[in-house]
Amino acid sequence: MASVSELYDVGWEEMRDKLRKWREDTNRNSEQIVDVGEELICEHGSKLGDDIWIIYEQVMIAALDCSRDDLAWTCLQELKKQFPDSHRVKRLSGMRLEALERYEEASKHYDQILQDDPTNTAARKRKISILKAQGKMADAIRELNEYLEQFVGDQEAWHELSELYINEHDYGKAAFCLEELMMANPHNHLYCEQYAEVKYTQGGLENLELSRKYFAQALRLNNRNMRALFGLYMSASHIAASPKVSAKVKRDNVKYATWAASQINSAYKLAGRGTKENKCSVKTVEEMLESMQITMS
Amino acid sequence: MPIKLTTQAYCKMLLHAAKYPHCAVNGLLVAEKIKEKKKDGQPVPILCVDCVPLFHGTLALAPMLEVALTLIDTWCKENRYVIAGYYQANERTKDYRPNQVAEKVAARIAENFSETAIVMVDNSRLTMSCFEPIVAIYDHHEQKNWKSREVDPDCFEDWCEAQKITSALLEGRNYESLIDFDNHLDDLRNDWTNPEINKSVLHLC
Repeated sequence: MASVSELYDVGWEEMRDKLRKWREDTNRNSEQIVDVGEELICEHGSKLGDDIWIIYEQVMIAALDCSRDDLAWTCLQELKKQFPDSHRVKRLSGMRLEALERYEEASKHYDQILQDDPTNTAARKRKISILKAQGKMADAIRELNEYLEQFVGDQEAWHELSELYINEHDYGKAAFCLEELMMANPHNHLYCEQYAEVKYTQGGLENLELSRKYFAQALRLNNRNMRALFGLYMSASHIAASPKVSAKVKRDNVKYATWAASQINSAYKLAGRGTKENKCSVKTVEEMLESMQITMS
Repeated sequence: MPIKLTTQAYCKMLLHAAKYPHCAVNGLLVAEKIKEKKKDGQPVPILCVDCVPLFHGTLALAPMLEVALTLIDTWCKENRYVIAGYYQANERTKDYRPNQVAEKVAARIAENFSETAIVMVDNSRLTMSCFEPIVAIYDHHEQKNWKSREVDPDCFEDWCEAQKITSALLEGRNYESLIDFDNHLDDLRNDWTNPEINKSVLHLC
């Protein structure tokens, strides 16, 4: 099989920079990371300088994702040689055991780290991941709640908890987690939009109105967020169709829904320009919006 | 009458699961609208000719699912298809039973199509070669229960072809170019009908 550098005509510096970009974006594109990282380490390891250690860590985790225990083991050994007493490397050992489904041993690994350093958040979070992997959702939720009482500012943890609650259909508690995230990140349109989706799913007129407001807020923060646009259309349509609302509320929501529909149409037309296949999409969306308008009025 | 899967439907389901190994994925199965039953009273098996990959990650939220169902329903009407089933691959490897999300979506589909089936992918048996069918098919029985049925090569239009082509596409990493509805919402130019993958499947037939 051709090497990455041959296939894409890139040099080792570009490969290194690509790996850095993926680290910063926290993408989980593990197969690509393994392809690029393995070649970089094997062919150009000596040129990387101190960057090589963080690349070993990144490639090791990606290798675990791809069941490449051989590669993961190699990276781990190099890191162990260089940083023999490091908790960070010990955590990677634990992750390898998790990947091999040796959960008891992995848990002991993390307990050893926590004995040495009770504030080690990484080890605590790995223990919670083990519970999740074993399907012990109630336990994972309980532990994560306890963790967050101590480490109230951990965004990643709040987001993980909101997802756990959504999967358990506990939308009220998921909304609470997203509220924490929105408070800490008021300009993040994704949290607004997810909050709106949770409220919509919870159902009921009050939650629908809240969801519409937050879809609108997400759009204000990023007017290209299609989920927010569709969400605004759906929530406003449902409110307008509800028999419990006053004539004024109905009128207002019909206005919002109509505006959203025209924006959706424009977005599709813009996307469809130039491609034959997408013309079908434009037409489909128009028809869908028309048929929903009929049920609404 | 139980559903049958074509190569294209089976293949794209597995490609979807392979593209997001760390997430739950789901999607819809579509069948051609049949007009008559066979003359001797034997019902014609419903052939699921295609599937539309929907979401990956969090499956339990309503708004985008509603949008997808409505949009795909409209598309189906234009192409003489009908939404006939739902597939899902859970997040955890060993978890292959239909959950509340699967049952709810299937119930919604069943409002328009009485023979709706749920297809669950068995993640633990997903390999490059896929020598056996790795799906479980659930049909609706009374008392709102979903019962799984024995899956054998008869559940496919052509199992040998399905196995060969799926294996070839998995090895060729074609799942990297599979588009689901989530990808479409990220960028409207992404086409959830996956014409390129459909072409590849046809090409290999």
